[in-house]
Amino acid sequence: MEAWIKALFFPGFFFLLITFLMVFYLERKVLASVHLRIGPFYVGKWGILQTTADVFKLFQKEFVIQRRANKLLYSLIPFVAFVMVSILLTFIPFSKNLYVVSTSFDLLIFLAIITSMPPIFFYAGWASKSKYSFIGGLRVVNQMISGEIPLWLSALSAAIFYGTLNHVSMVERSSFWSFIFLIPAFFIFMTAALIVTDRPPFDIPEAEQEVVYGFMTEFGGFNYAILSVAKLIEVFALFSLATVLFLGGFKGPFLPGVVWFLLKVAALYLFAFILRASTPRIRMDQLLGFCWKVLTPLALLNLVFVILLKMFLF
Amino acid sequence: MNQMGYSFTIESRKEVSGEDLGLLKEKILQLNWGVQHPASGPMRLKVWIDGDVVVKVDPDIGYVLRLLEKLVEYRTWINAIVNVERACFMDDFGTMVGYSIAAEKIAGVEVPKKADYVRVILAEGGRIVSHLIGLGSFVGVMGVHTAMQWALIAREKFLDAFETLSGQRIATSSIVPGGVRYEPTGKFVEKMVEAVDFLEKEFIPRYEEAFIDNPTLKLRSVGVGVVTKEKAVELGMAGPPLRASGVESDIRKDYPYAAYGDFKFKVVTKSEGDCYARYLVLWEEIQESAKIIRQAIEGLPEGDYRVKFPVKLPPGEAYVNVEWARGAFGFHLVSDGGTGPYRLRMRAPSFCNLWAIPEIMKGVKLADVPVIFSSLYMCHGDIDR
Repeated sequence: MEAWIKALFFPGFFFLLITFLMVFYLERKVLASVHLRIGPFYVGKWGILQTTADVFKLFQKEFVIQRRANKLLYSLIPFVAFVMVSILLTFIPFSKNLYVVSTSFDLLIFLAIITSMPPIFFYAGWASKSKYSFIGGLRVVNQMISGEIPLWLSALSAAIFYGTLNHVSMVERSSFWSFIFLIPAFFIFMTAALIVTDRPPFDIPEAEQEVVYGFMTEFGGFNYAILSVAKLIEVFALFSLATVLFLGGFKGPFLPGVVWFLLKVAALYLFAFILRASTPRIRMDQLLGFCWKVLTPLALLNLVFVILLKMFLF
Repeated sequence: MNQMGYSFTIESRKEVSGEDLGLLKEKILQLNWGVQHPASGPMRLKVWIDGDVVVKVDPDIGYVLRLLEKLVEYRTWINAIVNVERACFMDDFGTMVGYSIAAEKIAGVEVPKKADYVRVILAEGGRIVSHLIGLGSFVGVMGVHTAMQWALIAREKFLDAFETLSGQRIATSSIVPGGVRYEPTGKFVEKMVEAVDFLEKEFIPRYEEAFIDNPTLKLRSVGVGVVTKEKAVELGMAGPPLRASGVESDIRKDYPYAAYGDFKFKVVTKSEGDCYARYLVLWEEIQESAKIIRQAIEGLPEGDYRVKFPVKLPPGEAYVNVEWARGAFGFHLVSDGGTGPYRLRMRAPSFCNLWAIPEIMKGVKLADVPVIFSSLYMCHGDIDR
């Protein structure tokens, strides 16, 4: 396949769209079954088209810019965010030959783009010129900066273990022992990923009961849809990265690589949904304390552990 | 602009910068936590914050004022219950019991024992229904909606029982001066037992496993919004928040009304006085109420469920206090010898708890505002009346 076909269809745009509608649907169904409800039911078979209908409703809406907002930034930011997180997915190998690009610095570029997300979300909050959005934007910056350091450290420990930054060769070098030795790094990475993408129980920037909807309060219609899809893609990209780094990516018996890859990502999603349904949100100061006093030292210790392994065992 | 004798001023459009929002000019920012806010309900808290710390809170109420006390004056003695029960839709039985006892005191009417027992069953059912929503919304303000959904499933069974009795699920109008309005049939008793069974056998174990002693929940609520025993008395707090501060105050035990003297139950108190203690008080009171309902159903006497209530009452007045779901609810009823109340004054517990907010919320974090607010267990209909 040529690269542009891949970018448009399979690991690219349309695949993304369908994946997000399905992830969104799955989230609602899983939450509903924890709540002992039924969840989406009427639109399509088993309510499978409900999320599609919801998203298309948002697309039909009027484009409203509130009077105070900085018009250029307000209308531009969601698209910038969308493009930036879409770049992440070009580096994910869904199977042995199924990726858009593969360079020798995959992991580095990926983490660099993740690190540049907080200013985008902060601008989204600042451009709306609303108190809640502003507080939400500040909270995003606070939270992401504290989460990114453990994220980098745990991802780099995997890179040190494999001795490469290229995603495909990482997956090829992974084995049962790599999985066992990287389990601590995996847990640190997952926690940091939840913090960076502000998923519950770390959804402090969007805490509905405190700051309405954080930096997304003033967004509506198409802008809102694009911005929230950008956030969903960020989650998907980080879970995919976790699969590549720690769970052996597309490796697996019998089934094709893509299926294994998506199954592993789905398992991580299921974990995130169950966590959302059962764990209350923590407070900003508690989160900062947790990040700087617990997670970052643990990530550093883990890095030392991996370096020692590399020195004496492999 | 002049039009039809009135003059209007049209506000000129101007670019509003961050300074106008108080973001840069002043260190302190005023947030309107309310009226149209996901967790506030129909009231507003003006919250002044310095960074993440709350400096001052000022409650602004009156958005659901319905003049219930005034409306009662245009009703007959029995009709007035429809206004009284609408003080708060979550537990409507407690208020009807209080009003009915006050009216009976003026009239000198003795209600049959069966009516007293049914009143207890309904009032405790109402308390459970109300506390379930209280539990659910307390966990709900921390972003987990599971507790609320589970609570609503248990609540549904009780609403089914109320529907069997009166034909209505929420505003039942089922307790009137002179007894209860509808005959408590075998079907109603059966449904009530079913609901209590579901609550004790399915809801309580499931909920206890997930949301009692939940470490993250404790992280958020232990030591937050502490009210000491002396402070609680000084602020005049009522109901579960008062008992969570260690004051053993329960009208059902202290001045038994209806048939409460016949049953064994304990008054739940906690000494910590923080949000988690207030949450646990609700949790344990549900179990006590379920026990009371079981005792009342076992000992349900035979006989009339209602006696004739006179159309005109002699002049006089009565003050009755009842232990409602949210605390002691007082009724001061005055009769001038007419066919309806001359004046009814309702003393609402949520209103008393509301004015503890400016005291408690000094110096807490912004994220604690909804937690403390929901732990005080207030009802907006009851604050405004």
